[in-house]
Amino acid sequence: MGFRELLKEKEFIILDGAMGTMLQAKGLKMGETPEAMNIEKPEWLLDIHRRYVEAGSDVIYANTFGANRHKLAKCGYSVDKIIGEGIKLARQATEGTDTLVALDIGSIGQMLEPTGTLAFEEAYDIFKEMVIAGKEADVVVFETMTDLYELKAAILAAKENSDLPIMCTMTFEQNMRTFTGVDISAMCLTAEGLGVDAVGVNCSLGPKELYPVVEKICQWTNLPVVVKPNAGLPDPVTNEYNCSAEEFAELAKDLIPLGIKIIGGCCGTDPKYIACLKEMLADKKAVQRNVHIPAVCCSATDVVVIDQPRIIGERINPTGKKRFKQALLDGDIDYILGQAIEQINAGADILDVNVGLPAIDEKAMMVRAVKALQGVVDVPLQLDSTIPEVMETALRVYNGKPIVNSVNAEEKSLNTVLPLVKKYGAAVVGLTLDENGIPKTADERFKLAKKILDRAMAIGIRREDVYIDCLTLTASAEQENVMQTVNAVRRVKEELGLRTVLGVSNISFGLPSREIVNHNFLMMCLTSGLDLPIMNPNIDSMTATVRAYKLLTNIDKNSVDFIAHYGADTSSPTPKAEKKSEMDLPYAIENGLKGEGAEITAKLLETTDAMVIINEMLVPALDKAGEQFEKGKIFLPQLIQTAGVAQACFEVIKQKMLAEGGNSVSKGKIILATVKGDIHDIGKNIVKVLLENYGYDVIDLGKDVDYQTVVDAAIENDVHLVGLSALMTTTLVSMEETIKLLRANNVDCKIMVGGAVVTPDYAEQIGADFYSKDAKQSVDIARQVFGN
Amino acid sequence: MNGYLQVELDSLNKSEALRYMGYGSTAPDEKIMSMMNEVEKTLLQVIKPCCIYHVFDIEARENSVAVCGTALVLEGKAITEHLAGCTKCVLMAATLSAHADRVIRRYEATDMTYAVMADFLASAAVEQVCDRADEQVRKEFGEFYQTWRFSPGYGDLPLDIQGSFLDVLQAQKRIGLNATENNILTPRKSVTAVIGLSDHEIPKGRQGCTACNMKDVCQFRKRGDHCGI
Repeated sequence: MGFRELLKEKEFIILDGAMGTMLQAKGLKMGETPEAMNIEKPEWLLDIHRRYVEAGSDVIYANTFGANRHKLAKCGYSVDKIIGEGIKLARQATEGTDTLVALDIGSIGQMLEPTGTLAFEEAYDIFKEMVIAGKEADVVVFETMTDLYELKAAILAAKENSDLPIMCTMTFEQNMRTFTGVDISAMCLTAEGLGVDAVGVNCSLGPKELYPVVEKICQWTNLPVVVKPNAGLPDPVTNEYNCSAEEFAELAKDLIPLGIKIIGGCCGTDPKYIACLKEMLADKKAVQRNVHIPAVCCSATDVVVIDQPRIIGERINPTGKKRFKQALLDGDIDYILGQAIEQINAGADILDVNVGLPAIDEKAMMVRAVKALQGVVDVPLQLDSTIPEVMETALRVYNGKPIVNSVNAEEKSLNTVLPLVKKYGAAVVGLTLDENGIPKTADERFKLAKKILDRAMAIGIRREDVYIDCLTLTASAEQENVMQTVNAVRRVKEELGLRTVLGVSNISFGLPSREIVNHNFLMMCLTSGLDLPIMNPNIDSMTATVRAYKLLTNIDKNSVDFIAHYGADTSSPTPKAEKKSEMDLPYAIENGLKGEGAEITAKLLETTDAMVIINEMLVPALDKAGEQFEKGKIFLPQLIQTAGVAQACFEVIKQKMLAEGGNSVSKGKIILATVKGDIHDIGKNIVKVLLENYGYDVIDLGKDVDYQTVVDAAIENDVHLVGLSALMTTTLVSMEETIKLLRANNVDCKIMVGGAVVTPDYAEQIGADFYSKDAKQSVDIARQVFGN
Repeated sequence: MNGYLQVELDSLNKSEALRYMGYGSTAPDEKIMSMMNEVEKTLLQVIKPCCIYHVFDIEARENSVAVCGTALVLEGKAITEHLAGCTKCVLMAATLSAHADRVIRRYEATDMTYAVMADFLASAAVEQVCDRADEQVRKEFGEFYQTWRFSPGYGDLPLDIQGSFLDVLQAQKRIGLNATENNILTPRKSVTAVIGLSDHEIPKGRQGCTACNMKDVCQFRKRGDHCGI
C-alpha cells in the first residue's frame, strides 16, 4: 500500500519519533553530522528504525534530514551516497512489515536571499539533488522549515522531479509564526496551492502548546493535517523534555477533535512515545473536516481575505510614465521599491507589478522586481504580464499565493494561463473579452465571465480563486456603455458569486477633472459589488472613497479605520514646516528638509537652468556638508541626510528633463558592488547616495556580486570607475579576485576600494587605483577620475 | 546546562549607537534624536531578540582548546590564551531575528539616514542581548569567574568554525540562526561567542585591542576610542 492509499484506508497514520536524540544516546557527538552514521554506524540506524517499526510507526523517516550538499560538505560524503544508504537502511528495517519509508528533508542550513546569500534557484537545485537521490522512498517529507520561500523551492523540486507524494511541516513558535515570520494560513494556502498531499507542524513545542497552531492549520486547509510535536518543552536546567510518553499521548488525544490525520513525535520522543500514541489511537475515529477557504491571496507574512473591498495599487507599471520607464531602463530597483512603499503607506492592500517594456528583458526584470519587493514589503502581489513565460517565472519566484493578472476568454489565453494558475496555486483575474474584443453589453460580458470560470474549474482551480474584471471603457468615448460595466460587475458578483476586480481610472480618460469622475465611478462600482479596485492609492479622494464606502456599509465597525485616517487629531510627529518663502536650497539641504528641497527645486526650475541648480546650489551645499563631516562638526546621519535632500532635488530635475526629452545630467557612470561572499552593503549604499547626489550615475550591482558580473557590467555600460566594498577580512580575497578579473579583461577603468577592513596598503597591494576611506572621499575620487 | 533566553528589551542603547556613528562628546541635535527614537520604536516592534547558550567542559591543548562532548575544537593562540586557566566554557549565540534585517532593507529603499541609524542601533541591540546572556551565565555559574565574550574571527580563532559552532548549539533549529558559505551570520544582527569559566580570578589586561584583528583599521582606535567589547 502506498502513502496515498494509506491516507484513504487508515483512520490515522502514525509516524516515527526523534532521530537526533536517539543517535546522541548511542554516542553521536554534538555538532557531528548525523547523516554520516548511515555509512559509519549503519547498525545504529537499523536498530533505531526497527524499534520505531515495532512501536507501530506506519511511516518511518530515513536518516536524511540534513543530507544536502551544503551540510554534507564538511563530512566528505556525497548526497547520493548518504541518501541512498539512508533509504536502504530504513527499507531494511521495515522488511516483512507494511511500514513505509519517507525521504526526510530539512532546511538547507543557509538563509535564502535577501537576508542570506542562497538564491531561490540554487535552493531548488539542492532539493532537486536530494529528491532524485531519494527516489526509492515512498513519500517525500519536508520538515522543520521556517522559511516559506525555502519550502516553496523544496515543493517545486519534488513536484517536478518525482511522482512521490509530499508531506510538509513547518516549525511555529508560540507567537503562531515561524522565526522568519511566516503565518500559519500563508503556509497552508501556499503548500496546498502547490499540490502537496499533507501539511502541518513539527518540532517547535509540545502537543499541549501546539494546540492553537494545529487548530489554525485545520481551519486553513482541507488537506490531511500532520502533527509531530516535541516531548513537551525542555527544562532549562536539565535539558530534559517535560512530557512523558503517556502524557504525550494523552495531550495528543485533545488534537483529534481538531481533525488531525497524521501524527508522530519530534525532539525528545522515542519508540515508547510512538507505542503510547498507537495505543491511544486504537479506538479513535478521525474527525472529517470540511472547511471553506475564502477568496484570499497572501505573501509569506500577510494574508489578505477578499471579504471586503481591498485596494490593489496600480503604480508599479510603466504605461504612460516616463520616469518609471527610465527606472526600468536603468535597472533602478530602488525606484520601484519606493513606489511600492508609497502606495502601501497610502492604503494599498495588494500591489500590481507590471514591468513590461519592449526595450528590456521583461523576464529578468520581473524576477528582480518580485524578489526585491517581497524582501521589503509584506503585502501580497498581483503579477501582471501579457507574456506567459514572464508570468511563469514570476509565479515560480513569488513567495506566497499571488494573483495572476490576467487571463481572458480567448482560447489561447485560457489554454496557456490557466494551467500556470493551477500549477502554482495562484488566484487569477479573468478579463471579459475574447477574440472579438470587449463585448458591448453586460449580458455578453457576464457570459464570458461564466466561460472563464467553467474553464478554470474544469482544470481544478477553485471557484474562489477566479476574480472577474468586467473592464472599464472610457466615458468620453463610450458614454452609453458605462453602465454596462457597472451592471456586469453586479451580475458576476450576485449570480456567479465571484470576486470582482476593475481598473477604474480609465473611465475619465480624455475628460477634465478626472479625479471627480474617477472617485464617483469608483463609488458606483463598489455599491454594485466591486471587491478589488485597481487604482492609484496615492490620490486621497480615491482611497477616501473606499474608506467611506467601508464606513457606510458597516464594514469599518465603529468607523475605527475612517477616524484613524480622517479624525480630528492630526498632530503628526513630523517637525512643523518652516516658513518656505524665506528658505533657499542650501538651507533646506543643510537642515535635512526633503519635501521643502524638492519644492524649491521645482520652483527654481521654472527660471533657472538645471545644470546651474546642480553646480551652483546643490554641489556647494553638499561640499559644505562634506567638509563639516571631515572636520567632525557633523556626523554620518547628518551627512546622509543632506544627501537625501539633494536626492529629492535631483529626482525633481530628472523628472523635468525626462518630460522635456532633454539630455541627462550625468557627470559619469560608476559601478558599485559589495564583493562576492559579502552581504554587508550599507557602506556601499551610503557611497551610492552621495555619488548620485553629485550627479554621477551609479550602477548598483548590489551585494555578494560575482566577479564576472562586475566585469560584464563595466564593459556593457562603458564604465570608467568601479567601486568595490568589503567588510569582512574573509571576503577581501573576493575584492582582489574581482580586480584581477577586471585587469585580465583589460577593462578600461579605475578601481576604488573601501570598507571597514580595507587599508591603503592593502588597496595598493591588490592593484586598486584608489583607497576610499569614506563616502566623502569616494566623491573626491570620482571628481578626480572624471575631471569634474 | 542548555539555556534559552527570550530577551525582552524595553529600549535600545541609542547612546552606544550614536557612538558607533562617530558622536563622541558632541550631543546629537533634536532632529537626529527624534529620528533615532522613531527607528528604535520600529525595531522594538518587530525584533524577537533571543539567545541560546550551553556550558561545556574544555580541554586545553598546545595551541587549541577542545570542547568536550562535541566535535568542536577552538584553534589558535588567541582563544587558547583567552581560555587559559578555565575549566569550562559557555558557547552562546544571540540574534535579533530576521525582522531586523527586513526593517533595515525597507529603510534602505526609502531613506538611507534611517537605514544607517537602524543598522547601528541593531548592532548595539544585539550587544544588549549578549549582555543579558552574560548576566544569566553569571547568575547560573556564580561560583566561577568568567571571561569576556570572545567571538569566532577574533585574533586567530578562525571564522570558519562558525558552522560547527552553530551545529553544536543547534542554533538553526532553536533560534533560526545560520551562517553563509563565507561564514557570515544570518540573520545579520547576530553574535556567537565563547565565555570562559574559571575557578580563579582572571587577570586583567587580557581583553583589548591587541587581540583584535581589526586593530589596524579600527575607526574607534583612530579617534582614540574603543569599540566597547
